[in-house]
Amino acid sequence: MQGIDTVLHTTQELIAIIDLLIQALSVPFVQRALIGALLIAVVASTSGTFLVFRGLSFMTSGVAHAALGGAALGLFLQHSGLVPWFDPILGALLFSVFVALVTGYAGETGMTQKMEVAVGVSFALSMSIAVFLMYYIPPTQVPQIWGYLIGDILLLDNFDIVLLAVTAIVLVLITLIFNKEFIYVSVDMEGSIAHGMNARAYHYLMLVTSALAIALATKAVGAILVYAIMVAPAAAASELIKSIRGIFIAVFVIALVSELMGLVASFTVSASPSAIAGILAALSYVVAMQIKRRRDRVSIDLDQLPQHDEEATLVLGEALDTSAHEGHDH
Amino acid sequence: MEQQFLFEVKDLAVKYPNGELALYNVNFSIESPTFMAIVGPNGSGKSTLLKTSLGLIKPVRGQVKVLGYDSVRESKRIRKLVRYVPQRDRIGLSVPLKVKDIVLMSRLLKKPPPRFASSKDKEIARESLKRVNMADLWDRPFPELSGGQRQRVLVARALAGDGPILMLDEPLAGTDHESQDMIVEALGDYRNEHEVSIVMVTHDLNPIHTLVQDVLLLKNTVVGVGTPCDMMDMELLEKVYGPTARVIEYAGHRYCVTHDSGVDRHH
Repeated sequence: MQGIDTVLHTTQELIAIIDLLIQALSVPFVQRALIGALLIAVVASTSGTFLVFRGLSFMTSGVAHAALGGAALGLFLQHSGLVPWFDPILGALLFSVFVALVTGYAGETGMTQKMEVAVGVSFALSMSIAVFLMYYIPPTQVPQIWGYLIGDILLLDNFDIVLLAVTAIVLVLITLIFNKEFIYVSVDMEGSIAHGMNARAYHYLMLVTSALAIALATKAVGAILVYAIMVAPAAAASELIKSIRGIFIAVFVIALVSELMGLVASFTVSASPSAIAGILAALSYVVAMQIKRRRDRVSIDLDQLPQHDEEATLVLGEALDTSAHEGHDH
Repeated sequence: MEQQFLFEVKDLAVKYPNGELALYNVNFSIESPTFMAIVGPNGSGKSTLLKTSLGLIKPVRGQVKVLGYDSVRESKRIRKLVRYVPQRDRIGLSVPLKVKDIVLMSRLLKKPPPRFASSKDKEIARESLKRVNMADLWDRPFPELSGGQRQRVLVARALAGDGPILMLDEPLAGTDHESQDMIVEALGDYRNEHEVSIVMVTHDLNPIHTLVQDVLLLKNTVVGVGTPCDMMDMELLEKVYGPTARVIEYAGHRYCVTHDSGVDRHH
């Protein structure tokens, strides 16, 4: 009898929790947060992956902070009465495109190091502009600028969702059409140009669309979440996964799971969902690095046994062969 | 039919991005079709000459014509004719492209987006990989291969493409014997079967000198142009490689021994 009671009790508790979750799901701001999380994961798996492929993960942070400087400029122009119609988001988009263009110009030859420097400089410039303008903006408006930095996925409004949805759809379309070009530019810029592809145009297209997406995502959920979700999952996935399609999917999954866990956690403990999602995403990279290191150690051990090595490669080659054939049969 | 020139170079001067002169006073012409080697030590402007001919770098003086097209004004036309393989270390390894994707690049790059690979494209790519004995690694991630294997895949990329000119930048650098022999043989066979010109930048002429028809000896300007045996000349080689260069004769062929090539690699 007592056993049945406990079972009943636990079941009731479970039902209560599920009930709470379902209730939470019917609250509009939770719904918006969930849709927002999904859309940000799409942005991460497209733009984020390409930027990591290009060796430009730092650009995410540069653009997100440039958006903040741009928003400050927008607020300044609005409130000083110079350009009353100038919305802060326009400033954010303008500044992020500026960072993308400077980065792109520095990297036209395909040199990643030069691009990193360009990102660093334009990052510093736009942050300085933001801080400079803050003195000339009414104090009541300043939190709006900081909103770009910290943001809150639970405070999304309908307009944010529409903006994010359009961004995600455009990104997915561009990725579907031009993924080969973006990859060719990352792998062999010189060879692509020499074979007659307009690599320079695709180089800019990738950087500018990424920058616009990052700026819009920053407006919606804040620079910190954008940076964590755009970079860490893509970096983690490309450490471990050996197919491009696999990386796109893994990035989407890692980003979405981190965000959802962040949201769920924020209901039980009082913490910012962005912060928790950011920590989880960063952890995914740490874990991926550990797994990679362990794998590498195993393969080095194999290399140290020269007489077995040849045999091992042979067996491996055969295994790959058969698996390839099986793949074709199915 | 009028004689076509693969290269017509007049009074060419090109600068490196850092402002130093890479090439000056370069004048030569080479008839097409040919198997040509551009030879010289590191920093002698070999790659720069190749890139200039593709319009990737603009000359500060003079001009390069490739099959009659000017490298600056008509680079689009030149790029339709050329299959280019840059130095191996210029290929980014951060993207896990498969071997097949790398080989298909030379075919897909000449198509408009979305650049889908047809079954004919795949068949040609597979054939090309067979020529360098890499067909088994069709589905392997390119970044995981050894240096020599990667180089073989890149040569297969050139073989898989279309266009009458193959330009390869140091395809033998840092490769093992097996890969080197395979690449040389594949290029030689391909040249015998197809109406193409092959241009190869190399700091070591020995592995290919039995295949090559024209040699351009370069040290920031033209030191010599001619057949491989003409170029295996003590005086010329000293100008390029310094006083330690030696020419040895063996089995009717002359070989050059330099610090760059180390000991003669031929058997």
